Amino acid sequence: MTPGALNGEAAVGPEGSRQKSKATPDSVRVGCIAMVEKDGQARRAEILSIKDTKSGRQFYCNFDNFNKRLDEWVPVKRIDFDQDVEWPNPDKDKPKQGKTKKGAVAAGGPRKNVGKKNVAQKRPGKREQSVTSEAVTPHPWTEFVDSQSQSKAPSTPRDLDSKAGDTPAANGGAGGDEMDVDDDDNAPEVKKEEFSREAEIEKLRTGGSMTQNPTELARIRNISKVQFGKWDLFPWYFSPYPEAFTQEDVIFICEFCLNYYGDQKSFTRHRHKCTLQHPPGNEIYRDEYVSFFEIDGRRQRTWCRNLCLLSKMFLDHKTLYYDVDPFLFYVMTQKDEKGHHFVGYFSKEKECAEGYNVACILTMPQYQRKGFGRLLIAFSYELSKVEGKLGSPEKPLSDLGLLSYRQYWSEQILDLLLRVNDGDEKCSIESISSELAMTTTDVEHTLQALKMQVYHKGEHKLVISEKMMQQREKAKAKQNRSIDPHRIQWKPPVFTASSRTWGW
Amino acid sequence: MSSSRAMRIKKLSPKTILTVLLEGQIDASEYDSLTTEAKIATGVDAGEEDEIHLQAALKGAGQSTDNEIPVPPPQVSEEVKYEDLYSRPFVEPRGYIKSSDTVEETLSCLYDMTTEDDEFLKNYNQKRSSKLSEDDFERIMELFERTTSEQAPFAAVDNTTVSYEVMASQMAHSPISKLKTHAQAVYDHWKARRQSDGNRSLHPSLKFETPGQQDHDDMDPYVCFRRREVRQTRKTRQRDVMVADKLKKLRRELEDGRQLILMAHQRELMKREMLSTERLLFEHRAKLKEKKVRLGIKEGDEDLYNTKPVKRKAPVESQPAAKTAPTQLRLAVRPEGRPAEQELVQLEDKQKERFEEFLRDIATKAETHRLWNAKYVDLTEKPLSPPQEVEESSFRPAKAQFLPTPPASASESMELDDEPNEAAALAAKAPSTPFYFRGLSPEAEQPMPGYRRRIGRNGRLWIDRRNVGRLASPPSDSEDLPQNDRFAYDEDDSDDEQPVYHIDPYDTRPMKFRAGIPLNIMRSYRPGQDGSLAAQTTPNARAALPPPQQGSTPVAGHGHLQVQQSPSQQASKQQAQLPPTPQQPQLTS
Repeated sequence: MTPGALNGEAAVGPEGSRQKSKATPDSVRVGCIAMVEKDGQARRAEILSIKDTKSGRQFYCNFDNFNKRLDEWVPVKRIDFDQDVEWPNPDKDKPKQGKTKKGAVAAGGPRKNVGKKNVAQKRPGKREQSVTSEAVTPHPWTEFVDSQSQSKAPSTPRDLDSKAGDTPAANGGAGGDEMDVDDDDNAPEVKKEEFSREAEIEKLRTGGSMTQNPTELARIRNISKVQFGKWDLFPWYFSPYPEAFTQEDVIFICEFCLNYYGDQKSFTRHRHKCTLQHPPGNEIYRDEYVSFFEIDGRRQRTWCRNLCLLSKMFLDHKTLYYDVDPFLFYVMTQKDEKGHHFVGYFSKEKECAEGYNVACILTMPQYQRKGFGRLLIAFSYELSKVEGKLGSPEKPLSDLGLLSYRQYWSEQILDLLLRVNDGDEKCSIESISSELAMTTTDVEHTLQALKMQVYHKGEHKLVISEKMMQQREKAKAKQNRSIDPHRIQWKPPVFTASSRTWGW
Repeated sequence: MSSSRAMRIKKLSPKTILTVLLEGQIDASEYDSLTTEAKIATGVDAGEEDEIHLQAALKGAGQSTDNEIPVPPPQVSEEVKYEDLYSRPFVEPRGYIKSSDTVEETLSCLYDMTTEDDEFLKNYNQKRSSKLSEDDFERIMELFERTTSEQAPFAAVDNTTVSYEVMASQMAHSPISKLKTHAQAVYDHWKARRQSDGNRSLHPSLKFETPGQQDHDDMDPYVCFRRREVRQTRKTRQRDVMVADKLKKLRRELEDGRQLILMAHQRELMKREMLSTERLLFEHRAKLKEKKVRLGIKEGDEDLYNTKPVKRKAPVESQPAAKTAPTQLRLAVRPEGRPAEQELVQLEDKQKERFEEFLRDIATKAETHRLWNAKYVDLTEKPLSPPQEVEESSFRPAKAQFLPTPPASASESMELDDEPNEAAALAAKAPSTPFYFRGLSPEAEQPMPGYRRRIGRNGRLWIDRRNVGRLASPPSDSEDLPQNDRFAYDEDDSDDEQPVYHIDPYDTRPMKFRAGIPLNIMRSYRPGQDGSLAAQTTPNARAALPPPQQGSTPVAGHGHLQVQQSPSQQASKQQAQLPPTPQQPQLTS
C-alpha cells in the first residue's frame, strides 16, 4: 500500500500481494488504488481522502509517479470502476514493504528518507479513520482526535480492516492464515514502528528543516485557494495554517506582512491598518530590478513564521517542526509604487554544521519561470563568496529545485570553462569549486550530468560540446539579469552564544 | 564504454589538473567519454526521483522548455480590489532601507473585526445616536482579548470567562477609557462570540505545542514552530563572579549618579538662600544709605559696597562661590596654595628611595666582604669573585707573568696582602696569572710603575710597563733635577720619615732586570705559588694548599664557595677548616 507502492515504483508494486477486485463508488475507500483519469489518460492513483459535496462524492487522488502538487479532488466519473481496484491490505503488505523499502533506501537514497518512509507507513488504520471523519464532519480535527483515541483501542489492525471492509470476497479469500501470520509479526512490528517513530522525531529535532511531517494528514492539501496581493494562488501542499481555514474557500494573505485571514472583512480591516511596505529587515542589495532584504528569524518572529507558512504551501520538504529563530531569511522583492513585492526567498541557518548555504528556497508561483530562481541561487552563492565559504543547498531538493540548481550550476561552470579554454589555462575540480563557491561534490555531479568528462591519452580532460555552447549562447541572449556583487551591502552576521540563546 | 577498451582509468581527484577543450579541438574518436549510464546523485528525495515530469525534464536538460514540470498555475485574481486594499503609495528612500520594526509594531491595533463583528456594529450603531467607529470597536475588542490572554491563558481549556467588571477596570486604566459607554454591549457580543467557538481566541491561531503532550503533538501536523531545547549555559564560579561584578559596578554608577543629583539639588538650594541673603543685605544697605543721607554722615561708605572682599570675611567666602559657574569642575586648592600633588607620595620618589637603599646595601655588603678578605689572598684556581672595585687601568688580558715591581722595599711594608681585593680582582681578570705583585698601596700619591713579562710569538720576550707616563716627568725637568740629589744634602735624622728614592722611570734598567729574572726565582718569590701551580697542573689536588706561612694563610676560595652555597650547613665545617678569624661569624649571617 501507500507511499512506497505509489510513489511509484509501479513495477515494484507488490501485484500479487494486494487484493484486487471490482469496486463501486460507495465501496471504494481510503487507501485503495484505482485507475483514475488524469489529463486524458488513465493512471494508477491512490485515494487519500473521500468527501461528500453537493455535487456528489469526491476523491482525493495521488497519482502514480506524479508529484504531490498534482494531487486533486476528482469526481466519481473520473474513476474507472470497470477495472479492478487494489484494496489496502495494511498488515500483510506492510512488513514486506517495510523491509524491501528499507533495503532499497539504505542502498541508494539519502539517509534522511529512511525514517520518513517508515513513518509514512505507520498506523494504517488511523488514517482511514481520520480522513473519513474529515470528509463527514465540519470540524474534522476535533473529531479526529476522538477517533484516534478510539482507533488506538483495537489491538490489531485486523479489526479495522474487517470493520471497514465491504468486500467480503476479498477479505474472505485472505482468510485466517494470513491473520495468524500477522499476529505473529505484529508484536515485533509494532516495536519496530515505535523505534522508527522515535528515530523520526529525533531526526526532526536534531536535523534538517526540510523533512516531511510524519502524519498522513499532511499528505492532503488543506487550503484550496489563497488571495495574495493581486494574485490567486493554488497551494501545492499541506500547510499548518489554523485549522479553521480548511473550511474556507479562499484565504487572504497580506502581501507585505504576510498575515493570514479567513474572513474578508478582517482582511480589509487589516489592510486598512497595515503600514508595512517592504520586508521588515535591512535591504542588503538593490538594483533596478530586484532588492534583497535580510531578516532575522529571532527578531521578526511573526513575519518569518508567516513566511514559512506561506512557503510551506509550495514546498513539500519543508518542516515547520521548529521555530524560525535559528534562521536568517533573505527575501527578494520587486518594487513598484505600492512597495516591495515579495518575489521569493531563501532561508539560511545562522550556524550550519553541514555547511549548507541555503535551507529552503522558493520563488512564488506567480513569479516562476522568469529567471528569479536563478537570481536567488546566484545571490546565495554571492553571500557564500563574501563569507569565504563553499556552499550547497540543503537536501533533499525538490524536483523544481534540482532543475534550477542544475541549470545554475551548468551555466556557471560552462562560462568558467569557456574562459579557461580562452585563456589556454587549465583547471581542476577544486579550482572551479573555489571560484564559484560551490562544493566539489556539486561541481563533480554537474560535470557528470553535462557529460563533459573524458579520458584521453591517460589524462582526464573536459570537453565542451558544440551543442552546449549553442545552448549557452541562446540562453545568454535571453537572460540579461544577474546579481552585481558590488551592490551587496552585507557583512556576515556573527552570533555569539548568548545572542543565539537570549537575543543579546 | 571504457571497459570495452580494457583500459584502466586513473582516479580523478578534485585536485587533478584538467585540460579544457572544445569539441572541435579534439578528435571524438580518440577519447573515451567517462559518462556512464550510472545514475548521478540528484539530491532529490528517493521517492520522488522517478517522477515522470522530473525524469523528462532531466533527460532534456536545457534542450527546450517543453519539458517543464507542470504546476497548478496562479491567476490574476478577479475578485480582488487591489487599489482599495493596497492604497498606500510607496516612496523609496535613497539609501538602502534599514528597518527593524516587527509586524506587531507596525500595526496600530491587533484585532481585526470580522464580518460577524461588522453586522453587530452596524446594528448597534443604528440604535444609537453616538456612533462607535470601527477603529474604536477594534480597540475595545483588542483589550478584551488581551486581558483574557493575560488573565485566563487557558480559557479554551477550562472555559473561564473574564468577567465584565475586570474588563471594565482594565479599560478604565487604558487610553480608551472614554469608550466605556460602549463597553457593556461590546462585551456581550465578545462573550457570545467566544462561547460559540469553544472560548478560544477570536483570531484563528496556529497550533503550538502543549506542554506535557509531546507525544500527541509530534503526530499532529498542525502543531508547528516548536521551541528548540535551550542548551543550558554552563554556570561557573567565574561566570557568577563576572555577573556579580557587573551588577555591582552598575549599582555603584547609579548610586554615583544619584549622589550627583542630590548634591546639585543642595547647591541650588544654597544658591537660593544666598540670593535671598544678598537681597536682604541690599535692602539693609539701602536703608542704611537713606539714614546716612538723612543724618548727613559722609564716611563709612565702604560698608555699602561689596567690592572689598579682603576686609570682610563673610562676603569673601560667599562671593567666589556665587561667581563659580555651577557646572564647572574646579580643582580643590589647598590652604597653603600648593597643589595637592606635592603632598602625595610619588611612585618615582619611592623607587628612587628604594634604589638608593639598594645601593647602600650593596656598598655595605661589599665592605663586609672586603673586611673578611682583608689580609688574605685568594690563590685558588677559581677564586670567589670579590666585590668589584672601581677599576684602574690595567693590563690587557694576556698570558703573562707578573713580575716584581722595582725595589720591593719601596712599599711601606712587605705585606703582600695589603690589597687583596685588587689582587683577587686581577686574578679573576687574568686567571692564568697565579699571583700579583704589587709594591705600593694606593695611598701612595703616585702609583708605582708596573711590569709584566710575557712570551710573544717566536719566543720574543715582552716587558709591559704601566703607570710610567703618569709617574714620569721628563728627566730634563729643571725643578725635579735638583731633587735627584737632594737626599745627598738633606739628611733627616728622624726615623718617622721614610726615605724617598727617586727613580728614573725611563731607565731601561728595570726592564732589563725583569727580563732577566729567572722563573724559579719567581716561583719561590711568593708563598702559595707552588701550590697554585700544582693546582693548575693537577686540578684534583685542589685541596692541597700549602701550609700556612708567616702566620697568615690565604683564604681558600674553595671554602668560600662552599659557604656561599649553603651557609647554614657549612658554617661549622667552615670554622673547622679555616683558621678562625674575627670576621668569621659574619659568614653565617
